[in-house]
This record gives sequence, C-alpha cells and structure tokens, in this order.
Amino acid sequence: MTSSLVALAVVAAVPSIASADDRTEVSTVLFVEQREGGKGGLVVVHPQASFGIDLGRFVTFDLAYAADVVSGATATVYQVDAISTATKFDDFRNEATMSLGFQGRRSRITFSGTFGTERDYLSRQLGGTASIDLPGRNTTVGVAYTHGFDQVCNKDNGMATPLESKALVGDDQCEKPGIVAGKDTAGVTKWEGLSIDTAQVTITQNLSPTMNLQFALFGQIQEGFQSNPYRRVRIGPNSPQEHIPDTRNRWSFSARLNRYLPKLKAAVHFDARFYNDSWEIYSGNVELAYSQYLGKSLLLRIHSRVYQQTAAKFFKDAFFYETESTAGEYFTGDRELAPVRNVAFGGKLAIISIGGEKPVWGLFDKLQLLAKGEIMLFDALPADADNPMGTDKQFIYGSSFIDAVSIQLGLLGNY
Amino acid sequence: MRTLIFVMIAALAVGCGRQAVRASEKQFLADQVMVFDDDPHESSSNEHMRTNREGAAGGKGAGGGGCGCN
Repeated sequence: MTSSLVALAVVAAVPSIASADDRTEVSTVLFVEQREGGKGGLVVVHPQASFGIDLGRFVTFDLAYAADVVSGATATVYQVDAISTATKFDDFRNEATMSLGFQGRRSRITFSGTFGTERDYLSRQLGGTASIDLPGRNTTVGVAYTHGFDQVCNKDNGMATPLESKALVGDDQCEKPGIVAGKDTAGVTKWEGLSIDTAQVTITQNLSPTMNLQFALFGQIQEGFQSNPYRRVRIGPNSPQEHIPDTRNRWSFSARLNRYLPKLKAAVHFDARFYNDSWEIYSGNVELAYSQYLGKSLLLRIHSRVYQQTAAKFFKDAFFYETESTAGEYFTGDRELAPVRNVAFGGKLAIISIGGEKPVWGLFDKLQLLAKGEIMLFDALPADADNPMGTDKQFIYGSSFIDAVSIQLGLLGNY
Repeated sequence: MRTLIFVMIAALAVGCGRQAVRASEKQFLADQVMVFDDDPHESSSNEHMRTNREGAAGGKGAGGGGCGCN
C-alpha cells in the first residue's frame, strides 16, 4: 500500500487550477483487479468528497477528503520456485486537503495543504498554483509547485547491507504518536524521509470558437526512501528487501486538444503524453474520447487509452535474480518499473439537471449524477530477450481477456 | 528539452495579443465538454489507479480552459 500512497502523493502534488464555480462533489470508485487463480488480486474502494465556496468576491475556500479501503493478496510471483501462495493484506488510508484561493478579474492564486495517513506512510504537502488569462482571454498560463515531506515506515535494519536487509512485515509496529509524525521503534521499525518537489507549467489556448489546446510541462525530484518496504527480491538463496535509488528526477510533456462539433452537439478529445526519468523509464500514452449530448439532460462519453513504458535501467527479470545471484547495486520486482503495455476502454454517463428560476433540490444551479465504467487490459512485456522464463511468461496477469474493472458513481453540484 | 520549451514559448507567442476568439464566440468553449478535467474526482481517481501499475505518474495537465475566463 505504501507505493500507492507515494503514487497518490505524486498525483496530488500538482493540484488542478480550480474552477471558479462553487461546487460540491461526492463520488466512490470501486476497482477490482483479478489475477490468475492463487496469485492474488486487489479490491479498492475509493470514496471522495469535496466542497468549495466563495468567501466574498475575491476569496475561495475548498475542502477535500479521500480514502482508500484496500484488500487483496500479493503472490510471490517467481514461478521458478513455483511459490503460488498469495499473502493477504488490507489497509485503510485517509487524506484531507484544504485550499485557500484569491481571485482577481483575470488571475487566480491558490495555496493548499494536504495530509494523508495510513499504517506505514505519512504524506504532508504544501503547495500553490497560480494562473492568469493573457490579454484577449484566449490564453491561460498556469504554474504550480508543491513540496512533500513524507515519511515511510521501514524495517530497522541497523547497519545491514542492502543484500542483508529484511523487509517490513505486517506485524511490525509503525508508531505515529500525535498522528502527524512517525516514531521509530528501536530494533523493529524506522521512519524514513522522502522529499518530493513538483513543478508544472501549463498553457491553455483557445484556437477557434470550437477548439482549444493545452500543453503541460511537468518536473519532479524525489529524494529519499522510495523502495516498497514490504517487497522482497529473491537473489540466489536469499530474499532481501527491494533496494532502489534514493534519487529520481522525472519530467513529462503532454498535449491535449478538444474540438466541439456544433451540428452533432458533440466533442472529440485527444490527449498525448511523453514521460522520462533518471531511472531511464520512457513512456508514452495516447487517449481518444468522444462526448455526445443526448437530448437536454444526458451526456455520454466514451474513451480509449493505450499506454506503454520501458523498464527502469536496474530492473531485472526474476529469473535473472534467481539464477545469476549478482543483482547489481539495485534490485526490484516492482511491476511499475517493468516493461508493460496497458489498454483501457470505458464510458461515462452524466444525467444533468439545470435549475432555472428554481434551483435543483432548492440549492443547485446545476446537478449531475455521474456513472462511469472502465475495463483494463494489462500486458507484461519481455524484460530480457530470449528468456523462456521471462517476466512476460510468468508474471501475474491471468489468461482472462479483462484484467481489471473500475466503476465510479458520483454526484456533482454547482451552486 | 530545448525543443519542447521552444514549442511552448512559440505557442504562447501565437496566443498572446491575438483575438483568436471573441468573447461573443465562446459559447461552445464554455460548454463543460470543452473544459479540461471538468470532473476533478474522475481525474484524480484515474491517476490514482494508473500509478499503481505505471511508472510514469503525474504531469497530465491542469484543469480549466474552455472559455478562458479565469
């Protein structure tokens, strides 16, 4: 679960440039990933609630809460050993964000703080966003920066070398007196630091009365403990804790385009992104979507997305670790660092109620009931050429066509 | 990297001072389907799900856009 919180910290690190509308939204996502029999799976329930209000003419205030209720099982995936028993786990995480914004006629600046906690991870972030409409009001430039000073609960391995280090286990106590900071338990657990600095620049441009475009340049520096403390890697006869570099520098460039089709009351959407980091992961994704109004109160959107990445430079196949023993300075079995290709298809339906002189439910100018579903297909790619026991032959994804499903229900109100 | 920065600056320069779209022509741009990340919960959930299986999280862009009225 630690990796997912790191991931969420990354996601939350650059908050969106908020809408000027007062709005409130509640939603829940159910995510189910099924793996081949006996090799684990994952169920995540992800509720969110957010509330935003104008405090006078120039000040906005936003509160948001999100949680993850996770249950699942992780298999030891090295088929070389034919170990197929899955280790069950469950976790519960909470995250709250508070933002204060100041808006002018053409500009806006927002400061935010986020705190997240779970059994083995503490996430603390401060950040801000600013945006301005350039003359003509067809170009919006936005900048964002956040600093995260997180803590990860790790096994207290004392002076052990990486090849001797033991992984954290569920019974190890991760103390958090006062909730906001972790406390070491001598000889058992040690809280490690992780600093995350994130910056992003966006340019949004109206190209015509029916088309707009956005470029985004993203950069991030992560410094500190980034291994999954629970993950072990089999190296010869030993199973030390995963060991990956303390520094990771990441950047990406993305472009998005919307085109409205007035005659059809529809829009097409295009999204492409390139990513690279100092661990030598290269990735790209392309997303296409189509939105169609059906009458006055229904909006349907269908979308598809393809993603592919190369492996991190230190990623080796489990078969390599098992048989070669000499793993090198770093070693991991993390699928996020492996070569993978993902494909997703989905649809979203919004039922829209617009209040005229009489607000919807006596409160909202506009209220939307949202339902979304998506299916995902995962494909592990070969990490080593000509390896008959390679990760693509033995990895966790099952033989079924669909590997994961997500369903989202939500209620979004503007007032 | 320098090429990307050049592209962004060029795009900005093209947009600056140019009346690409008049205020009276922004009816369609103001529609919710033309706003990037119109549903923040959906955007954050998508990123959250993807970051557990992809090593390239973050940096998708920012919400807003559409009518260009901050």
